[in-house]
Amino acid sequence: MDFAKKSGWNWKVILSVLLILGVAFGYYGWYKFFREEPQEAWITATPDMRFRYGSIGGERDAGVPYWIFYVLPRIFPEKLPGPGGYASLGVSWEQGKELPIGFTKKTIGFPRVGNNCAACHTTNYRAAANQNPVFLNAGPGHTLNLEAFFRFLVDCAKDPRFNADTLMREINLVTDLPFDDALAYRFLIIPMTKKRLIEREKQFEWIYRKDFPDWGRGRDDSMNLTKYFMLQLPMDNSFGPGDIPSIWNLKKYDVAGTTMNWSGDSHDAYSVIIDSALGVLGAPPKSNDEFLAQIKWLQEYLSNTPAPKYPFAVDAARADAGKVVFDQHCATCHASEKTGRRMPLAGVDTDRGRMDTWNKDNAVAANKVVAEMGITRKGLVEASLDGYNPPFLDGIWVRAPYLHHGAVPTLRDLLEPPANRPALFWRGYDLYDQKNVGFVTQGAEAERVGTRFDTRQLANGNGGHLFGTTLPAPDKESLLEYLKTL
Amino acid sequence: MNEPFYESRKDGWLTRMYRHRWVRVVMLVLAMPTAIAVVLAIVLWQRFGSDRAVEYAAIEEHFKYGSTGGERESGFPYWIFKAMPQVCAQHLHGGYASLGFIFEDGRDLPIGMSMRNYQGVDRTFLNCAVCHVSTVRDAPESKPRIVLGMPANLFNLFGFQKFVFECGRDPKFSSEHIVAEIDRLMQMKGEKLGLLDRYLVYPVAIALMRERLSMLHGRLGPLLQDTDWGPGRTDTFNPNKVLFNFPLNAIPERERNAAVDFPSIWLQQPRQGMQLHWDGNNVMSEERNKNAAFGTGTTPPTIDLAAIGRLEQWLLTAEPPKYPYAIDAALSARGRSLYGEYCAGCHGADGRTFSAPAGTQARECVNPIGAEEALYGPQVGKVTPIEQIGTDPRRLDSFSYELAVQLGTVYAGYPHRYCHYRKTYGYANMPLDGIWLRAPYLHNGSVPTLRALLEPASKRPQIFYRGNDVYDRNNVGFVFDAPEQAGRRFSTYDTTKPGNANVGHEGKRYGTELSAGDKDALVEFMKTF
Repeated sequence: MDFAKKSGWNWKVILSVLLILGVAFGYYGWYKFFREEPQEAWITATPDMRFRYGSIGGERDAGVPYWIFYVLPRIFPEKLPGPGGYASLGVSWEQGKELPIGFTKKTIGFPRVGNNCAACHTTNYRAAANQNPVFLNAGPGHTLNLEAFFRFLVDCAKDPRFNADTLMREINLVTDLPFDDALAYRFLIIPMTKKRLIEREKQFEWIYRKDFPDWGRGRDDSMNLTKYFMLQLPMDNSFGPGDIPSIWNLKKYDVAGTTMNWSGDSHDAYSVIIDSALGVLGAPPKSNDEFLAQIKWLQEYLSNTPAPKYPFAVDAARADAGKVVFDQHCATCHASEKTGRRMPLAGVDTDRGRMDTWNKDNAVAANKVVAEMGITRKGLVEASLDGYNPPFLDGIWVRAPYLHHGAVPTLRDLLEPPANRPALFWRGYDLYDQKNVGFVTQGAEAERVGTRFDTRQLANGNGGHLFGTTLPAPDKESLLEYLKTL
Repeated sequence: MNEPFYESRKDGWLTRMYRHRWVRVVMLVLAMPTAIAVVLAIVLWQRFGSDRAVEYAAIEEHFKYGSTGGERESGFPYWIFKAMPQVCAQHLHGGYASLGFIFEDGRDLPIGMSMRNYQGVDRTFLNCAVCHVSTVRDAPESKPRIVLGMPANLFNLFGFQKFVFECGRDPKFSSEHIVAEIDRLMQMKGEKLGLLDRYLVYPVAIALMRERLSMLHGRLGPLLQDTDWGPGRTDTFNPNKVLFNFPLNAIPERERNAAVDFPSIWLQQPRQGMQLHWDGNNVMSEERNKNAAFGTGTTPPTIDLAAIGRLEQWLLTAEPPKYPYAIDAALSARGRSLYGEYCAGCHGADGRTFSAPAGTQARECVNPIGAEEALYGPQVGKVTPIEQIGTDPRRLDSFSYELAVQLGTVYAGYPHRYCHYRKTYGYANMPLDGIWLRAPYLHNGSVPTLRALLEPASKRPQIFYRGNDVYDRNNVGFVFDAPEQAGRRFSTYDTTKPGNANVGHEGKRYGTELSAGDKDALVEFMKTF
C-alpha cells in the first residue's frame, strides 16, 4: 500500500513536470515559428514608407524566409534575367535599403519576406542616364519583370541544389544564426519552403508555355493569375498580360457607374484592392478585421495620393493649344461620362487578348470565394466583358508604354497609325524620353536592361485606337505638350 | 514477508539491478564506448577546436601582421602556402617576392599576411597592409625604406591571384607533391610533420582548397581576362560583385577593366564626412573599411571587428612621412600661391589643412537618400562630374546602380548593415596628404609623376613602367622610364589599353596650360604635403 501511495505521488510529479515541459516547449515553438513582431518603427512612421515597405500580411503564407530569400540569387544567379541579383528583375530599389520597394520584412516566428502593393505599383524613372532613379509611389511598375520573379522562385525550388547543405553553407557566409535557428532552418524551414514553392508550380504552368510570349517588364497576366491561383481552374489557352496600372488618385473612381481594371471587370476601388491584396497574401487572411483595416488604409492613401506632376519643362502656350485639340479629339472618351466605363471593342479595336482571359463565370466564382472568406465587397462585375475602359489620364506622362497591354512605347507613337508604330521595342528601361513622352525603348542600353516586346506575338498587337492619328503634325505636338500636364 | 519488501524500498531499483554481476558487466561494456567517445571528443576539440590569431601589441606590427579574422573563412593553410612556390614553380618565377610582397628580416611571412591557428591548422591570409604598405629607395642601390599606409606600389595582386588559381588547377596541386614539399620545408626548420597531418589533415586540406580555388576561379576568372592591373592596382568593385555571385561574364563591357591605384590610408580623421572611394560612393569610413576587409577574406560572421577597430583608431591620425629630400623654399613659396589659385578649391588648402565639407557622418539608414546634389561640388571630398573631370570612366562605371543597392544588403542582421553606398557619376576630389608617395596619379594610376600630371594628356607618357621604388625627385613620383633596373623587371603600363587612359584632369583650370616654371613651382610646393 505504501508503495502504491508513493508511486501515485511520483506520477503526479512526473505529470506536472511533463506538463510544464510541454507548455515550455509549446511556448518555444510558438515563439520560434508563429509569434508576430511589429515591423521596424520607421516603416510605419510615414504613409509613404508604409506604402513602400509596410506589411499587408503577405509574409504569412506567400512569404519566403528571410535568409533563403537573401541567398537564392547568390546560389542561382543563372536563373535570373541578368547580373545584379534581384535588381535584374527590375524591382524599384532605393539605395541604402535592405530590400527593394514592395518587399516587406516581418518576423512571424522568424524573419520573412513578403510583398505588398508597392512591388508592382512604384514607378522609377531617370531624368538622364547619369542620374539616379526617382521613385513614384502608386505608379505603374514598368520595370518589374514579375513573371521572371515567379519563375525564379519556382526554378530555384526545383533545383536539386535547393537543399539544406547548399543553402546553409551560403547563409553561414553572411550571418551567424543561433544554434536552434540553424537547426530550424536546416530541418524545417528550408525543406518546407522548397515544398511550398514547388506546390505553386502546377498553378504557374502557363507562365512556362512556349507558345506564349514572355510578359516582359511592367506587365502581368492578372486575370489568369486569379483563375489559376484563387479559383484553381485548369489551364486554358487564354493569354492576356496587361500593363501594371497606376493606382494613384483612386477617388476619381468614387463616381457611380465607373468600373475598374482594364476591362472594367471590377466594381470599385475597395474590391480591387481586396482582390489584389488577396493575391499578395496567397491565402485567406488570418484575421478579416486586420486585413480590412489594411485595405481601408490603402484605399485612403491611394485615394489621396495625387498623380505626380511632370517634372520637366512644359511649353505653356503649346500646352494651351493642345488643350483645344484634346477637348476636341480626346475628351469625349477620356474626360467625360464615358471615362472609366467599359466601351465596346468594336470601334476601338485594340488587342482582345486581355479581355478574353476572363468571363462571367469566373467573376461569379471569384466573388463566391471571397464571400466565403467572410469578406463583403461589391466585387467583380458578373457579366461577359466586351471591350476596355477608356482610362482617366492623370499622370499619363509616366504611364508608358501605352494601351492596356503596353504595346505602344510612347504617346507620340500612339498618335501614329499602327503601321507607323514601332513593331519591336524594349520595355522596362527607366530613362525618360521627354521628346516622345514615354521611356526610351530603343538603343543599346534599352536592349540591355529591357525586355523585348514584339507586337506580332500573341496578345501583343499594337493595332486600334486610331484616334488622333490623322491630326496635323503641329496639333500632335500641341496635344503631346498638353498631355504632359495631366 | 515484510523484510525483503523493506529492503527493496531502501535500496531502489538501480541498486537492486547492480546486485547481478552480469548487469555490471553489461553496463561496463556499454559505458566504455561512451567514455572513449568523450575522450576522443576532448582530444579532437583540443586538436581541431582552435581559433587563435597571432596578436601584436604594437599597432604597427598589428597593421603589418595582425589578423582581420579573414583566415577563418579564407585562410591558406600556412604550410601549403609555403609549399606552393616550389610545387608550382612553373607558374611563379622568383617566389612570392617576385609578386612584390615585402619580406622583413627574420620574418617568413611577408608584410600583409597574418597567421591564425583555426580548427587545428595554422592558416595565413592577406590583411590590410598588403595593399597599403610599400618601400622607397633614394637610389637603385639604396636600402628600401618601408612606409606604412602608403599605396602598395610593388604588390601585384593580379599576379598573385593568377598564380594561386593556376597553382590550384595544376595537377601538382595534390597531396603527393605538396605534402612532400611541406615535409622538406619543415625538415629545414627542424620540424616534423605529424602522422595525422600527413595522412589526414593536409590531404583533406589540399582537396578542400583545390575545390575552393576552382569555385573562386569560376567566379573571378573573367576578371583575369581584363587588362593586367600590374603592381599597385586592383579592381575594387568587380570582385565585390563576385561576393554576390553576379555572373561577371554577363556584366556590361563598360563595367570591366576597372583597375585603380591602391590609395594611401593616412589621416582618416579629417576625411570624415567626405565622399570616400575614388568615385566618392560612400561617406562612412566604417562601411568602406568593412568592404575593403572582404579583400582580406573576412565574412560578416568571421570578421574581427575589434582588430579592425584598432587599425581604424590608429589611422585616424596616422601621418604620412615628410618629404625627406631638399625642397627649394623660394620655388615652393611661388608654388603655394599657384596652388591656392588652381588646386586648393578642390583639394584643400594644403596637405594637412583639408577640412571635411559640411556633410553628415552620422549613420542614417532610415532616410538614406539625401539630395543627390549634395554629393557633388568643387570642394575636397565632393564629387566632380565625369563630364568635367574627363578621366577614364571604367572605374566609375564598374560601380553600377545594381551593385550600389545590392550593397545595402551586406551585414544584414547586424547593427552595421551598409546603408550609405551611392551610385555617383564622377570622381571624388581627394585630399593630397603625402601626395609625394602616392604616385602614379589619377585614380587609375595612369600618370607616373606629378609633373606629368601638369601636362596635357597628349604630352603625358604613353607607356611607362610601374613597380620601381626608386624615387624621382625631379618629377615627384617613382622612376617610371626604366623597364629594368639592377636585375628587377618592372611592369609595363600601356595607357592605350582599356581602363588605362591617362586623359582628363587637364586644361586651363587644371594647370596644364601653365608655364614650365610655374609647373615646377607647383610641384615643389606639393612636396611639402
